[in-house]
Amino acid sequence: DDLDLTPEDYRETPEDIFQDPDAYKEFLSKLYAGLAVSGQEGPAGDPDLIGLDEGFSQYLRLYWMLQELPTEEAVIGWNDEGLPNLHAQNWTSGNPFIRTMYSRIMYQVALTNEFLRQSGEESISGFSEAEQATIREFRAEARFLRALSYYHALDMYGNPPFVSEEDIVGAFLPEQIQRQELFNWIESELLAIENEMVPARGNEYGRADRGAVWMLLAKLYLNAEVYTGTERYSDVVTYTNNIINANYSLVDDYEYLFLADNDENGAQNEIIFPIRYHGINTATYGGLTYVIHAAVGGDMNPAEFGVNSGWGGLRTTPQFVNQFPNGAESEDERAMFHTEGQSLEINNISSFSNGYAVTKYKNVDVDGNQGSDATGEMVDTDFPMFRLGDVYLMYAEAVVRGGGGDMSQAVSYVNELRERAYGGSGNNISASDLTPDFILSERARELFWEAHRRTDLIRFGQFSDRGIWAWKGGVPQGTTTGAYRDLFPIPSSDIGVNTNLEQNPGY
Amino acid sequence: TSRGTTTDFDGNFTLSDLEEGNEIVFSYLGFAPQQVTYTGQQTLDISLSPDTAQLEEVVLIGYGSQRRQDATGAVEQISSEQFNRGAIVSPEQLIAGKSAGVRITPSSGEPGGGGEIRIRGGSSLSANNSPLIVVDGIPLDQGGVQGVRNQLNAINPNEIKDFVVLKDASATAIYGSRASNGVILITTKTGTKSTPLSFEYDLQASISQVTDRVDVLNAEQFRDLIESEPGTDPALLGDASTDWQDEIYQTSVGAIHNLTVSQGFENFTYRVNYNNTSQTGVLRTDTYERNALNLALNQDLFDGDLKLSLTAKGSIDRNKFANQDAIGAAVNFDPTQPVYDENSRYDGFYEWSDANGVALQQATRNPVALLMQRDNGGRTQRIISNFNVDYRIPLIEGLRFNMNAGIDYADNEGRNFSPISSATVLQSIPAEENYWGYNRNTLLDFFFNYKPYIESLSTAVDLTVGHSYQEFYTTDQQEFTDQNVEGFWILNNRNIDRNALESYFARASFDIDDRFLLSGSIRRDGSSRFSEDNRWSIFPAVAVGWKLNNENFLRDSEVISELKLRAGYGVTGNQEIGSNYGYIGLYSPSIQGARYQIGNNFYRTLRPEEYDRNLRWEELESYNAGLDFGLFNNLVSGTVDAYYRTTDGLLATVPVPAGANLSDQLLTNVGETMSRGLEVSLNGNIFNRENFSWNMNYNISFQELEITNLSLGENPNFFIPQGGISGGVGNTIQLWRKGLDPTTFFVFRQVYDSNNEPIEGAYVDVNGDNTITEEDRVPYKKASPDFFMGFTNTLNYKNLDLSFTFRGSFGGYMYNNTQSSTGFRSAGTVTPQPYYSNFSSNVLETDFQNNQFFSDYYVQSADFVRLDNVNIGYLFPGEKVDFRTSLTAQNLFTITDYEGLDPEISGGIDNNFYPRPRTFVLGLNIIF
Repeated sequence: DDLDLTPEDYRETPEDIFQDPDAYKEFLSKLYAGLAVSGQEGPAGDPDLIGLDEGFSQYLRLYWMLQELPTEEAVIGWNDEGLPNLHAQNWTSGNPFIRTMYSRIMYQVALTNEFLRQSGEESISGFSEAEQATIREFRAEARFLRALSYYHALDMYGNPPFVSEEDIVGAFLPEQIQRQELFNWIESELLAIENEMVPARGNEYGRADRGAVWMLLAKLYLNAEVYTGTERYSDVVTYTNNIINANYSLVDDYEYLFLADNDENGAQNEIIFPIRYHGINTATYGGLTYVIHAAVGGDMNPAEFGVNSGWGGLRTTPQFVNQFPNGAESEDERAMFHTEGQSLEINNISSFSNGYAVTKYKNVDVDGNQGSDATGEMVDTDFPMFRLGDVYLMYAEAVVRGGGGDMSQAVSYVNELRERAYGGSGNNISASDLTPDFILSERARELFWEAHRRTDLIRFGQFSDRGIWAWKGGVPQGTTTGAYRDLFPIPSSDIGVNTNLEQNPGY
Repeated sequence: TSRGTTTDFDGNFTLSDLEEGNEIVFSYLGFAPQQVTYTGQQTLDISLSPDTAQLEEVVLIGYGSQRRQDATGAVEQISSEQFNRGAIVSPEQLIAGKSAGVRITPSSGEPGGGGEIRIRGGSSLSANNSPLIVVDGIPLDQGGVQGVRNQLNAINPNEIKDFVVLKDASATAIYGSRASNGVILITTKTGTKSTPLSFEYDLQASISQVTDRVDVLNAEQFRDLIESEPGTDPALLGDASTDWQDEIYQTSVGAIHNLTVSQGFENFTYRVNYNNTSQTGVLRTDTYERNALNLALNQDLFDGDLKLSLTAKGSIDRNKFANQDAIGAAVNFDPTQPVYDENSRYDGFYEWSDANGVALQQATRNPVALLMQRDNGGRTQRIISNFNVDYRIPLIEGLRFNMNAGIDYADNEGRNFSPISSATVLQSIPAEENYWGYNRNTLLDFFFNYKPYIESLSTAVDLTVGHSYQEFYTTDQQEFTDQNVEGFWILNNRNIDRNALESYFARASFDIDDRFLLSGSIRRDGSSRFSEDNRWSIFPAVAVGWKLNNENFLRDSEVISELKLRAGYGVTGNQEIGSNYGYIGLYSPSIQGARYQIGNNFYRTLRPEEYDRNLRWEELESYNAGLDFGLFNNLVSGTVDAYYRTTDGLLATVPVPAGANLSDQLLTNVGETMSRGLEVSLNGNIFNRENFSWNMNYNISFQELEITNLSLGENPNFFIPQGGISGGVGNTIQLWRKGLDPTTFFVFRQVYDSNNEPIEGAYVDVNGDNTITEEDRVPYKKASPDFFMGFTNTLNYKNLDLSFTFRGSFGGYMYNNTQSSTGFRSAGTVTPQPYYSNFSSNVLETDFQNNQFFSDYYVQSADFVRLDNVNIGYLFPGEKVDFRTSLTAQNLFTITDYEGLDPEISGGIDNNFYPRPRTFVLGLNIIF
C-alpha cells in the first residue's frame, strides 16, 4: 500500500526494535538518563519535553533547586521569573520551576509505564530464558524508578495525577491520587519488587538494586508521619539495617563523594544509587553542571572546580554556616566554604559577594585533574542520590524517634561520620547528645546540597511556619510562612488542562 | 521592425512612411485587436469590437476552468495589472491588500523573507493555517522546503500572470484534505501565439532603511539608572556612548534584473526569463541572492486537439544568514561600552570579560561581534517543472483528457562557521556546522472533462472525474565540530520523512439557460499520515448560482449590468500537521552527549516518542453566500461574501495532561471552532477617458473566530496555554478556551494610580479572595483584528501612471514583549555575572522593580493604517523600443498608536522583531 508509510531513518516502530533483546537495555538506559539529561542529544537539541528550556527543566537540577533553595542551605542571586520566589517561599501555582519539576516527574512516570507495556511476558516470550530473566530484572528496575519519581511527587506535590501501564497512551485526563493512597501504592510497589531486584551491590554500577529499594522504603517510612499521619519508624530501622548489613562502606575522605571520579575513587562503595554524569557522553546544563558552575563566582577560580567559568549564582545563608562550630573556620572537614571576597551576611541577595560560597562539588578528580570535557563546560561528577552516610543518620533518627533499634549502635554510626569529618574521634558524641535537634543539624552538616533539606525540615516541622533564616519569606532577617507551603502547589497549567485535579490547600 | 502611434481624444491618428503590404494592428483594452493590410489607403475607419474572450474571462478553478461569470464559489482572480509594484521578491507581496478575506502579513525585514498568508483567518489552531498553493498545476508542499527563507521565492514575481484565490469550500473542496485554509492557484506567463520575437528587460533598483528603533536607554540614561539602583557597582560601566542598534543596521541595497525572450508561432510558443535578484539586509551581513531561469513551452498538435505544455522554474537561492541574536543583543547591550576594545582577545570586539580577559559566559554578547564573527551561508537549488498533456478526444464532442506530471525538487546545502576568536565559541577549535538535504515532491494526476450542451434543456454541462497521487520526500543531515571526539567531527543521524496522498475526485456543473448555475464536487483522499482506520475521508461540496441580470426583468436595465446570487456548502480537511508518523509510537535513539553510563559502558538510549493512535483529519464545514454585482455597465462593480464555518477535530499541538502521553505536548484532535465573516470588495472606474482613467478598489473583511469546544476537558475553566514569551521559563501569554478567539491574551488586570501610572504588582483581585494568584488571570483582548481593509487607486494620464495602496487593520492587540522583558529595573541590574544590560525606555515610565510579565499594561492596541506602496511611472513610447521608468516607495508610513516597532507582527507577540525597512525603488523597463 502506497499510503502505509513507516520511518525509513533511525526511528523505528516498537514491533521492529524490540525484536532485539538488547533494545530493552537501551530503553532502560533512557529511564535512568531521564534523571540525568533532558533529551536525546546532549546537552540540548532533541528535548523530551517540548515547551521547556532543556537546561532549566532537567530533572535533577529542578529537584535540587526545589529541595535546597527554599531552605537555609542555599540562595541564588539570579532573577529569572519565579526563581527568587523559591527562597522567599512566596511561590504561586504559576511558578515555572514548580511546574517544570512536576512535568519532569510525570514524564518519567510515563516513560517507565511505557517500558512496562513493552516488556510484558507476551512481548518477551520469543527470547531465550536468560534474556527473559534479564528483561524481568529491567522491569523491576523500571518499577523502582517509577516509584522513585512518584515518591518525589508524594513528597513535593502530595496529590499528583496517577497513571500506570494500564492506561493507554493518549490525551486523556488522568485521575488525581490522594497522598495517603499514593503512599500505600509506592509502598506496595516497592515491596512487590524487592525480591525481583538484583541483590544489593550485585548489579552493574549505576543501576538500581535491592539496596536502592530498601533505601527508598526507608525514606518513605521515615517521612510517613508527614505523608499519612502515621509513624513508621520501626520500619525505618528494619530497612536501614538491611542496607547497613549489605556491605556498603564509607569512603575515607568525605570530599571524594563529590568529585569527578566519584564512581571509582572509593566513593562508589558508599553510594547506593547515583545519577551518573560524564562530560562528553552524558551532558546537560542541568544536573551537577548547573550546581558546580552556579556555585562558582566572585574571585573563585573556576579551574579549581574543573570548569571553564562560574555562573555566580548559588551561595548559602549565615544560618547554615553556623551549623558548624566556628562556622566556616570549623575543623569539621564538611564545612566547605569559600569566604574570601564574600560576606557571611546577605544584604543583597542578588549580589554574589553576599553570603559564603559553597565548594562542595567539583569537576576534578582526587588529583585535581579536570573531568573529561576538555572545554570545561560539562562535568563528570555523579550525583550521590542515596548513600550510606544518609542511612546512618536515618537509622539514628528512627532510633531516637522510638522506632526501636539500638541506641549505642545509632551513636556509633553517627560517630563514624564525625570521625571521618574531623579526622579523629575527638568530636564524637554520646547517647545524650543524640537529640532530634542534633540530628537535624547533623543532617545539614553531612548532607547539605544533596537535595534532602526541604524534606528534612518539613519532617522536623522547621520548614514553613517555624524556622527562620535569612531572606525566608522575602525579608532580610527572615520570617515564617504559611504551613501550607510544606506542599508545592499543583501547577495551574496542569489544572487548566486536567480538570480532574484539585489544587492543594492554601494555593 | 515595428512602430506605433496612439490616437488623440477623438480617436484620430496619423501614420506616415507606410509601404504597401505593411500590417497595421489596432488595439484597445477590452477589445479584440484588428489587423489591416496597408494597400495605399489615405484614411482608415476602424471600429473595434468587444473582445468576447476577455468578457468571458476564464478563471482557473482547480482541475479545470470556468467562465468568471459562471463561478458559484467565492473565487477571486488577481491579474498582473492589479499587482503591487516595486522591488518585490516574494510573490505573495504582489497581492497584499488586494483581496477581501485574504490577509498577507508581510515578512519581517529580512531579505527574501516570506509573509504569512491567511485566507479567512485560517481554520486550524496549530496545524498549518497557510493556504494550499498550486503553481502551474503542482500543489507545493505546505511544509515548505528546507534552507530557504520563503519557499515561494522560487516563483519569480515577474513571471506570474495571475493569482486565483479560492476562498470558500464549494470552490476548494476539489482539493479535499488540503483545502481548509483556501487555495491559491498561481499561473505563470507563457508565450502568445503568432507574436514576433520580443525582448524585455526590467530592472528594479532599491535602497532600504530601518525607520525606527526599539526605544532603549541611551548611555547617559543608562548610567543614571544603574547608579540610582542600590547594590550596583557603577565601576562596571564604561565611558562610551554606543547606539547598538545603529551599529547593527545599515542601508541596504538591492537589484532585480529580468530579461525575457518570447515568441509565438502558429502552433508553438516559448517564453524564457532570466532573473537575478540580489539584496542586502538592513541587518548587517544578511544577504539574499537568486538566479532563476523560467521556461514555458507550448506545442499544439493535430489541429490543436493535443496541447503539450512544459513549464520549468529553475532557481538557485544563495543566502547569508545574519545572526539574528544580534537584534536582541543590541537592545540589551550596555550602551556605555564601546564596540571595539584593542585589548580584547575576541578579534578586537569588546566583550564583558573577567580579570583574565575571558568572556563572561552569561553576559550579553557584543551584537556587532555576533554579526561579524559568524559566517552562515546556504544554497538551495530548486526546480519546479510540470509537463501537461491536454487531449481533445476526437470521437466524442466535448471530451478532454488532461494529465500533469510534475516535480518540485530542492537541494540544499550550507555551512555555519564561527572562529575560536568568537566569544560564543567555548571549544579550542572553530564551531563549524555543515548541513545538507533535499526535498522532492512528485505529482501525477489526470482527469477527464466532458462538456456537452443539452439543447432540450438549454443546459451546459461540465463533468470532470480524475485521480491524483502525490508524494513528498524530505531528507537532511548535519555534521558539526566537537573537540572532544576523535577527528573533531560528529555526524548526526540522517532524517528521512516521506508522506503521500492519494485522491479521487469528480465535479459536475450545470448552467441552465444562462440563468441558473448548479455545481457539485466530491473528493476522496487518503493520507499516509493517519492509521488505516482513519486514513480515508470524503469531501463533498455543492453550490448554486442565479444570474439575475439574465432574467427578463433585469435584462434591459440601464443600471444593473451584472447581478448574481451565489450560495455554497462544502466540507474540506486539513492534514498538514508537520509530523508524518504521529499515529505510530516510534522509538528514537540518542546521539552524542545523551548516553548513559552503566558499569563502565555508555549506552545509547531509546526514547519512545509521543503519539496519538486516533489521530484523524481536521474537518471544516463551511457555508458561503455571495453576491456579485455590476452597475452602469460595470463602472461600479463589487462582491459581497458572507461565510459561516465550523471546524471539527481541530489538529493542534497542545500541552497534554501530565502523565497521559510521552511528552508534555502532543499533536492531537482537540476541539471545534466557529468562524464567520463578511467580505466586501468594491471596484470603481471613476474616470475612464482615453487620456485619463482612475480606478479605485476597496475591500474590507470582518472576521471572527471562536473556539466552541475543547474536547480534552469538559470543565468550563479548561484552557490550553499558548503564546510563549521571552522572560521566565516556558511562560505563555495567551490561551485557548471555549468561547474565546484563539489569540486571546491571558493577563492580570493592572491597577493604576491617580496619575494613571501602573502600580507595580497591583492587580485586580478578580475572584475576590484577597490575594493575587493565578486564578486572577483573565482573558483580555486578542491579537487578531476585527476587520482589515485594503484601498488601491490607479490613475493614468496619457503616459503617466500613479498607483498607491493603503492597508489597515483594526481591533487587534499586541503583547509588547520587548517592554515587558527589559522594562524593569532588575532586568538589567540583577545579572548572574558582573555585567549590566540595557532596558526598554519604558522602565522610565513604569519604574517597575521586577518583572510584571502578565500585566495587561503590555497588551497594546495594534490598529494601524499603512501606506504600503506608492508607484509613479512614465512610459516613453518609442518607434522601436518602449521604455518605461518608475519610482516606487514601499512601506512609506504607518499610522498607529502602538508603542513598539511595528504593529503588524503575526501571532501578536512583539519580541526582537527584525524591523521592516522603508524602501525606494527605481524601475526601468525596456521592450524591444
